Amino acid sequence: MARFTTTFKQYIKHVQRADRYFGYDLRGLAKISNLLGFLYEDWWNIEFSGLDRLPAEGPAVIVGNTSGLLPWTPLMLIYALMSRRQNPRRVSVLADMDWIGDERAYQFLLELGFVPWSSANMKRLIDEGDLVAIFPEMFEAKNYWERYRLYEFDWTRLLPAVEQNVKIFPLASIGQDDAMPTFLNLDGLAKFLNIPSYPITPFFPWLPFPVNLTSYAQKWHMHILPACNYERKTGRDEIEEVVKTQARFIEGEIQAEINRMIRARLKRHEY
Amino acid sequence: MANWQDLKALSGLEEPLKRMARRNPSYYARYAGEDDEFGYKLSTFALWEPFFRFLLEDYFKLQLRGVENIPSEGRALLVGNHSGLLPLDGGMLSTALANRATNPRRIRFLVTDWFFTVPGLGDWIQETGQVRATLDNAKKLLDREEIVGIYPEGIRGVGKTFPQRYRVLDFHPGFVQLSIATQTPIIPIATVGGDEIYPNFMNMKAMSQLLHMPFYPITPTFPWLPFPLMFFPLPVKWVMNVHRPIDLGYPVEKANDRKLVMRIAKEIQYEIQRDLNKLLRERKSLFTGWDIDDEEQ
Repeated sequence: MARFTTTFKQYIKHVQRADRYFGYDLRGLAKISNLLGFLYEDWWNIEFSGLDRLPAEGPAVIVGNTSGLLPWTPLMLIYALMSRRQNPRRVSVLADMDWIGDERAYQFLLELGFVPWSSANMKRLIDEGDLVAIFPEMFEAKNYWERYRLYEFDWTRLLPAVEQNVKIFPLASIGQDDAMPTFLNLDGLAKFLNIPSYPITPFFPWLPFPVNLTSYAQKWHMHILPACNYERKTGRDEIEEVVKTQARFIEGEIQAEINRMIRARLKRHEY
Repeated sequence: MANWQDLKALSGLEEPLKRMARRNPSYYARYAGEDDEFGYKLSTFALWEPFFRFLLEDYFKLQLRGVENIPSEGRALLVGNHSGLLPLDGGMLSTALANRATNPRRIRFLVTDWFFTVPGLGDWIQETGQVRATLDNAKKLLDREEIVGIYPEGIRGVGKTFPQRYRVLDFHPGFVQLSIATQTPIIPIATVGGDEIYPNFMNMKAMSQLLHMPFYPITPTFPWLPFPLMFFPLPVKWVMNVHRPIDLGYPVEKANDRKLVMRIAKEIQYEIQRDLNKLLRERKSLFTGWDIDDEEQ
């Protein structure tokens, strides 16, 4: 804990007056900050660019791609923003968490900054001037041959952001689908266990408990794109129209950036 | 189905034009005597059409969805994702549209200059309907109410390596400018299948510079096998999804609004990529493709 307070001094100062309505607790992050740091710095060796684009204060929305049952991409985003020297920020991740039956796991996620998705919750966070992240594909395990191909975004998730004229930053990340390749999704078993997906990976569920959650040491790249401009509208129907086109456009922006990143990664093997 | 008649035409036993007039009278009636200064020759097209039809119907078993979205009269701009090391996707689309049940039409694809430097290839490309890619040529063709096909990824799009398959490169926005300037509707087309017929392991940069080629691919057959065999494609099942025409509805002056043009080009690129993602997710297997239920729709 002592090390945590010294390493993340700026961050702790920043979150002192933060809104704890949804159960955010610094102790949660303190518990796993070593693990997150190891994964971020050493295991996945994440290269994060474009963080300067985020505003130092005031509300903003980040929309990103992710995959896998465990929310590693959001956690890496939380860690990246937490460990910045200048302007560290707290980020609240809005996600569908109703399926999580285990009370302790649910509580722990709340402590880390996860918030159950609802339009009212998102509005509250934006009003508080918080940084909000949405991952429309959260908890869906993508098959290996579908890797880095986005599912269609649910446009209703962006509605509160556009209603309140908040800047939306797309976040593209690659690496996670190679680190944890999913060969098969057992939908029947997932339904039976009441979880969103039941992936079969090289580690899961074969190995004994903590080891089956590991991954390959694949390098990750994450990149925050410039904020999207959209028209400000007042009418309800007009706003919905803007959100629909905006959601498609953001999805396309992220996919195009992912394509560029993959191309850059492959370029190293050209002769 | 390619049959004995087609073989006869290919081997020169039957006059290709005569066979086309018999087999596809509406196309023949429409384009006979329509040879223009861009070098279109119906006889060359008629000669090669059976071969491409064989690829289309029997080899790749292309399934063309939404072909009715291509208008039977008037100008249109077809825009798609490029694929296959040899740009077979254009040929497939031309052949498919020429064999459409009602109102078959020809497509004039804009082709990059490099093809005209290959001996023997330039004339053939022009005679089968392709045109050197310049803005003037495209405008002329659209003024004549033709269908112009553009692959805005350019030649780079054809040389995608296998891990990059169906990852659309950033579109060159010229086609939007053209569409606004000539008030032409844009029809996006997503093609799945083309990127897997020649799995491209790597592009040899040094070789391509040496031989003045846009790229020099290494595939399972190229350059190992002797000449025609090196171009032997895999029998992958294709699907082409033709979207509804997009009427941009901007006045002609807006053609020079760079920001607007970029934005629309991006939107169309993202639309095609989104459709590719969806089609790939629905695909059951590389060689048998999509469910029969989907095909009946």
